[in-house]
Amino acid sequence: MKPFATALTRDKADTLLLLASAVLVLAPHTTHLPLWVSLLCGATLAWRAAITLRGKRMPPALVLLPVAVAAMAGVQFSYETLLGKDAGVAMLVLLVAFKMLEMHARRDLFVVIFLCFFLVLTNFFYAQGIGSALLMVASVLLLLATQLSFQFTGNVPPLRTRLAMAGRMLAFAAPIAMLLFVVFPRIHGPLWTMPGDSGGARSGLSDTMAPGQMSNLALSEEPAFRVRFFTPAPVQARLYWRGPVLDFFDGLTWSRGASQASGRDLHLSVSGDPVEYEVTLEPSPSRWVFALEMPGELPAVPGHRLRISPQFELTADDALNSRVRYRASSHLQFAFQGGPTLDDARRWLLLPYGFNPRALAAGRALRKLPDPAQRVEAVLAQFREQPFQYTLSPPLLGRHTVDEFLYGTRSGFCEHYSGAFVFLMRAAGIPARVVTGYQGGEINPLDGFMTVRQSDAHAWAEVWIAGIGWQRVDPTAAVAPERVRRGLDASVPRPPPFGIEALRGMNPFQGRSNAWMAELRNAVNAVNNGWNQWVLNYTPERQRDVVRALQRKLFGWPFIALLTFVVLALVLLRFLRRRGEIHPVDALYSTLCKRLGQLGLARAQDEGPSAYAARVAGATDLAPESRAAAQAFLRRYSAWRYAPPTADPRLTATLKSLLLQVR
Amino acid sequence: MAGGLRGRLRRATGAWLPRAGKLDAGEVVLRQRRVFILPTRAGLGFALLLMVLLIGSINYALGLGFGLTFLALSCALVDMVATYRNLAHLALQQGRAAPVFAGQEAQFELQVFNRTRLARYAVRADFADVAEPRHVADILPGTHAILTLSAPTLARGWLAPARIKLSTRFPLGLFNAWSYWRPAMRVLVYPRPEDGAPPLPLGGGSGSSLRAAGHDDFAGVRNYQAGDSPRQLAWRQIARLDPSIGGALVSKHFEGGGDELVLDFDAIPATLDLELRLARMTRWVIEAEGRTLPYAFRLGALRFDAAFGAAHQAACLRALALYGADGGSEDAA
Repeated sequence: MKPFATALTRDKADTLLLLASAVLVLAPHTTHLPLWVSLLCGATLAWRAAITLRGKRMPPALVLLPVAVAAMAGVQFSYETLLGKDAGVAMLVLLVAFKMLEMHARRDLFVVIFLCFFLVLTNFFYAQGIGSALLMVASVLLLLATQLSFQFTGNVPPLRTRLAMAGRMLAFAAPIAMLLFVVFPRIHGPLWTMPGDSGGARSGLSDTMAPGQMSNLALSEEPAFRVRFFTPAPVQARLYWRGPVLDFFDGLTWSRGASQASGRDLHLSVSGDPVEYEVTLEPSPSRWVFALEMPGELPAVPGHRLRISPQFELTADDALNSRVRYRASSHLQFAFQGGPTLDDARRWLLLPYGFNPRALAAGRALRKLPDPAQRVEAVLAQFREQPFQYTLSPPLLGRHTVDEFLYGTRSGFCEHYSGAFVFLMRAAGIPARVVTGYQGGEINPLDGFMTVRQSDAHAWAEVWIAGIGWQRVDPTAAVAPERVRRGLDASVPRPPPFGIEALRGMNPFQGRSNAWMAELRNAVNAVNNGWNQWVLNYTPERQRDVVRALQRKLFGWPFIALLTFVVLALVLLRFLRRRGEIHPVDALYSTLCKRLGQLGLARAQDEGPSAYAARVAGATDLAPESRAAAQAFLRRYSAWRYAPPTADPRLTATLKSLLLQVR
Repeated sequence: MAGGLRGRLRRATGAWLPRAGKLDAGEVVLRQRRVFILPTRAGLGFALLLMVLLIGSINYALGLGFGLTFLALSCALVDMVATYRNLAHLALQQGRAAPVFAGQEAQFELQVFNRTRLARYAVRADFADVAEPRHVADILPGTHAILTLSAPTLARGWLAPARIKLSTRFPLGLFNAWSYWRPAMRVLVYPRPEDGAPPLPLGGGSGSSLRAAGHDDFAGVRNYQAGDSPRQLAWRQIARLDPSIGGALVSKHFEGGGDELVLDFDAIPATLDLELRLARMTRWVIEAEGRTLPYAFRLGALRFDAAFGAAHQAACLRALALYGADGGSEDAA
């Protein structure tokens, strides 16, 4: 590297450094840019490097202009717009690449570097992980080193020294940046929206459920939300996070019926101590807000207004495109609409005409049992006792999905069981509905946060029994109790690596069973969660809490004492350093002058050491040996001070001994 | 707009700077109150970038974007301190300032000492009224740089340098730190020697009228000097010396009849312009010195006995440079 770098002239080396930082800034963008943009940028930068290395001229504007216009047209073609976030980023990337070919003055250098800074920011549209943060620090370091390199006028230290200088600047800047990050007043965005800003392809819980289709939702390990409990976390089997309630069945698909006015009289009566917790919801294009069954009051989601439906569904007024955090309190013991009658019972009894005749007949047959609870128990017993199987890859079902499932395949997952159960209940004359949401969650012992993943998505049922109200029944639990007790991993065997059965034992990522892997996973999760809580989702609300906590800590006397101590130490250190700036030989000289002054031979303000020595020589009231020593001192000092610098390591010692002889 | 504002600010700082009008005697250390700092144009651009970054972060709720914004802002703050530190605590001393003839460039030598442990890069220096500084120096710890600023000279007499400005934009170029220095130094400007002056008044011993250089007393040959008349050239000697082997023109050298050469100001017709008379005296001093002729020097009440050599010449030229100025205080240096 070094002989290469030294072989280049300074201008060339600087330009190559600028190119390197541009490459570092542009590289992460290749993951989302159209291929042609990445290739065009790569070609442009390579061209610029070739121009630099060969010392050729830059292409004239007449060549660049058509290329730039064509690139703009290409962006329009690829994104079907020039506005919007993604198209804007593509344009910026192209702009930086082309600007490299059009750099003439020092001002252009600043333009390129500033554009690069902005491109570092735009990368966060697509990735905001810890890796992105590390890449950001590396990019800023290289950009600073580049900017620094262009400021030298004479000697240019080697690249490593320049990088170290930039690194030192970053090291000083980092604590200030952190402080600003924590205390700089945050406001809620967005200030405006650009076309195409919303609707990222993020998975969430669906509003419909078609048990005949395969679903891969259950296998996604992406977190749906994270929960911090302020009261002891309930056991797994009671962690039902309520989401959309599906009541309309068209024979194939369960969906939400016609929405009704916001629930005013929900008739929820609760007992027992509430569970207090805080949910950090991952961004998704949906509007669902999740809470444990049943929340005693409407949680406050910052930046959104919440609604509650008569079915006790929580929705926000807007898509929850960014991470939100809210506090909630839920009562695990509750009675919901526990009156003697149900207002619109018909709605919960509707069944499609011409579907699932066997199941319909079986349900009707249940009516002979007088107690609705008995009918419920009968169906659950059927699930338990017959050879039903819990699997995430059930066979596809035809027209009569419930019939085929109940009397044919007998294998499926929560959607199949809850759907079939609700169908049977309605046939048996019991108002019933499907409730979807999440079930369970994994507590991370490192930071105490519970992670609820997309794979924890679940569907269960609710039946209404007079006098008791809506009651939760989880038919899946009858078939695979461990699904509810311990989570999905326990109930479904994972596919072996690469589909080879013999490798099953070797799978290092075998879910939550392997002990040390679990520990590692927990550690990674804790870091990720901390990152989310403190960096990505540091909202104005959280800032208020943090600042308040800081204030409590800061305005106590220990902190003020510490501050005083630190300030005093800094002042003292500065004083000591200032003293250290005087050369020891100069210090000895001033000591000598002081001593001679005490002996009645003060140095005149404008007297140099030689003149002083001459005066000392004539001072007869001084002891001869003192005089000789002082003269020798002054002679040596004068030689050291005015002659070309000679390294005499013993000079200080000699002067000291001479000084001692002056009495 | 920015430039106008900067100019106004510069004037304002110049006005309240306590030392603005005073000369800085001796060594000057650039302490905190002497160093000013303002963002450069690039710095203002960076501020704009920071605003854009902040707005982008707010609008898209980019947690990491805030991180980048604040990191960039902090880097700018660190740069501000670093730029200040790149200039502060340098020690300035005046160096030599050799006398020059009017019309030549006066050279002011400045010594900039770095007694700190911090390497200083790209410290720029020039007179304050020069838009783009012409001198740049890197000063490593424990070393010093010598900068030589040149200024044109027009008239004879003492010339003090204009206010000197040291500035730096290192390390990132976002801020410009500067400091003013008015060293208590001055350069003596001798009168400009007259072109085409009459020859030396040889033989004019006792204040008689000017006499052309005599042709009677051949005193040898000497190297040709500009201004020697062609008739004076020693053609015979020149012919013997081959110019290709380093031979040069030589002139015949005449002694003015053994009389000493006297350069008397009063002997030059008083009808001539004062400056022209001084210029002629100057030319004669140079010429006599060039021919190593001892010359006596008379200027008003001032009388130097015949002599030659650097000290004699300097004394004469100095007297000529300062003639008419109230010499008492001016001669102090």
